[in-house]
Amino acid sequence: MTGRILFCIMLAGYLALAVPFSSSLVNRPVLVKLGTLPEPEVLRIISGDQRFLVAQSAVVKVLFYYGTLVEKFQRKVRITPEYYNMYRTLITASKLDPWNADVYYFTQAAFTWELNKINEVNGLLDYGMRYRTWDYQLPFFAGFNSAYFLKDYKKAASYFEKAAQLRGDPLLANLSSRYFYESGQNRLALSFIDYMAKHTTDSKVVAVYEVRKKALLGVMTLEEAALGYQRRFGKKPERISDLVSSGVISSIPVDPYGGQFYLDGAGKVRSTSKFSFPVPEAQRKKQ
Amino acid sequence: MDTFQNLYRLSVASLVRDRLLYLVFSLAVLALVLIPPFSMFSMRQVQELSVTLCLSALSFFLLVVTVLTGSSSIWRDLEKRYAVSVLGLPLPRRDFVLGKFCAICTLLAVVSLLFAAGSFAAVKVSTALYPSEIPTQWGTFAIAVLFTYLKYVLLLSLAFVFSAVSTSFYFPFLASVAVFIAGSASQEVYEYMLGPYGERIAPTTKALTKGIYYLLPNFTAFDLSAQAIYSLPLVGGTLLLTLGYFVCYTGIMLCIAVWSFSRRELS
Repeated sequence: MTGRILFCIMLAGYLALAVPFSSSLVNRPVLVKLGTLPEPEVLRIISGDQRFLVAQSAVVKVLFYYGTLVEKFQRKVRITPEYYNMYRTLITASKLDPWNADVYYFTQAAFTWELNKINEVNGLLDYGMRYRTWDYQLPFFAGFNSAYFLKDYKKAASYFEKAAQLRGDPLLANLSSRYFYESGQNRLALSFIDYMAKHTTDSKVVAVYEVRKKALLGVMTLEEAALGYQRRFGKKPERISDLVSSGVISSIPVDPYGGQFYLDGAGKVRSTSKFSFPVPEAQRKKQ
Repeated sequence: MDTFQNLYRLSVASLVRDRLLYLVFSLAVLALVLIPPFSMFSMRQVQELSVTLCLSALSFFLLVVTVLTGSSSIWRDLEKRYAVSVLGLPLPRRDFVLGKFCAICTLLAVVSLLFAAGSFAAVKVSTALYPSEIPTQWGTFAIAVLFTYLKYVLLLSLAFVFSAVSTSFYFPFLASVAVFIAGSASQEVYEYMLGPYGERIAPTTKALTKGIYYLLPNFTAFDLSAQAIYSLPLVGGTLLLTLGYFVCYTGIMLCIAVWSFSRRELS
């Protein structure tokens, strides 16, 4: 009888604790959630023949964390992302398993557009190229970064040449520095985003690319409208609202990053969001 | 039928009756079922992750079976007085040890073969879900499974050495686990020491570390995961050297185990 009473008390206690216990874990600090890994050299020693699994679990951990960030950004919840820890975890994963494609793909997806860590990403891609000698995508990513972000067309051309050699696809060979320069950056970026979104199984990463694509389409619509305005009135529009009031376009596209489109002094379309998810100022300075 | 064969058959029968193995087999089946959905956690390398999971799970299950059966087999027979009654007969102790060793090797081979067959199906399912640009090299995968098996046979020989001299289950169990961890890490530590870090180490410490490195079994050579996961080419020369190393090291350990057990007082 005593045993049964004790069991019932324990069961009631468990039921009472289950929900608050679970929510306390859900709400634990971000840094605790993402965790920190030991130095790659140490981890390589202790993980033995399980190092490939450890590397993949580190990537998946970052991916899950990034997924929660994306959900929060989409709901306009302002939080401080642990970009540094994410990057460090990915670097560790690359040291444990330098062939892991997810590391390079995710670094390209998360650290270029939002954080502008182009040199770091290209450094990691260069490291990956030493191991994934058959993979055309790493030079393809590095070429895109060099041309689009760094405007280093010579370097981009050499990356694209390497990618074209590996792929044996003339399409990649056409993505030369000249093509970048002449065809317009946004249209090329749009093709790149479509490529990236098609080549992943992760819906969160696709969602991030969809947001970027929507922003680029908005910019392209406004740029084309500004050209139309100039053709019709013989002068550049002074404000974005001129495009609507003159009837060139019916409405101003929405910036999915939550900003407002405007024209800068040179007449270029920009947004107050700077096309990135909001990051608190203190965190931005830290990064 | 000679003594060795009899003892081998008896040991196999005893292993087949072990309930722990049924638990391991059930967990292995569960792992194989879960591998395709778990592989979907990868963004770009679903097939590669499924191969990683298969090899990791195989390595884990073989470790559990090796350490538990290897550490407990001789000890359990002594504890149950079975060894005393059997060895009271005019039977060479060598056959007793080798019969047991071969029986566990057979068991490890069966686990490896069944898990490899299950892995084949699991990887095929994962590949169908998200095809990879790199086709799986099944020959390389089979060789990786074979070398994983050999690694645990080598560990088993060490467990027998510890088991042959120990009077309890805990010493061979813990010593086998410790040697496994050390043997898996020794190559990395050795290479680390050969690098710039080694220049700061005292020559005596360096020599001592080198001595331990050669004394410990080197399990790194048996790890062909990278080649199997990413279809990288295998180096024939290294594989042959590893096979030679396996034969010599396992042979030495078995000789020590037989020699120790032959001189042991059984009361």
